[in-house]
Amino acid sequence: PKSRSRSRSKSKRVSGFDMAPPASEMLAGAGAGATENAWSSFGQIPGTTPTI
Amino acid sequence: CSRLHTKPSISPTLLLSNMYQRPDMITPGVDPQGQPLDPRKIQDHFEDFYEDLFEELSKYGELESLNICDNLADHMVGNVYAQFREEEHAAAAVQSLTGRFYAGRPIIVDFSPVTDFREATCR
Repeated sequence: PKSRSRSRSKSKRVSGFDMAPPASEMLAGAGAGATENAWSSFGQIPGTTPTI
Repeated sequence: CSRLHTKPSISPTLLLSNMYQRPDMITPGVDPQGQPLDPRKIQDHFEDFYEDLFEELSKYGELESLNICDNLADHMVGNVYAQFREEEHAAAAVQSLTGRFYAGRPIIVDFSPVTDFREATCR
């Protein structure tokens, strides 16, 4: 039902929403995933320390 | 930047921090295994992400604007700014998205003070 010209598989791709991390990553904290950044894993974003 | 930007208690705009993880985020044009990436693959990956996001956020209300940062600075990379027509819809989205995951990573969502993206540069 899409009018895009680029080709893609016919079946609907599964959304990334609610794709939970592997249990091992949940426990270890340090993700083995190549696209994982240490600081992005669990909500620790640099630069949010309050400066009064 | 290291400035503390105020987080409003409610806003039509949401910030989803560092949500988009580009496939070539370590070295532009190269995947994490060091293999060159086809620019079309990168574009498809981005469009899939945009589609996922648009479909999910549209459940909560009409979107005015949906921006994904391609800025490689650590504090900006992959930040998603989603502006709803109505504040209540943004609030519903925050409620629903908090504590959930996207592609194996926690979703970090908050209201953002940005209302005009032409003016949305930190000075």
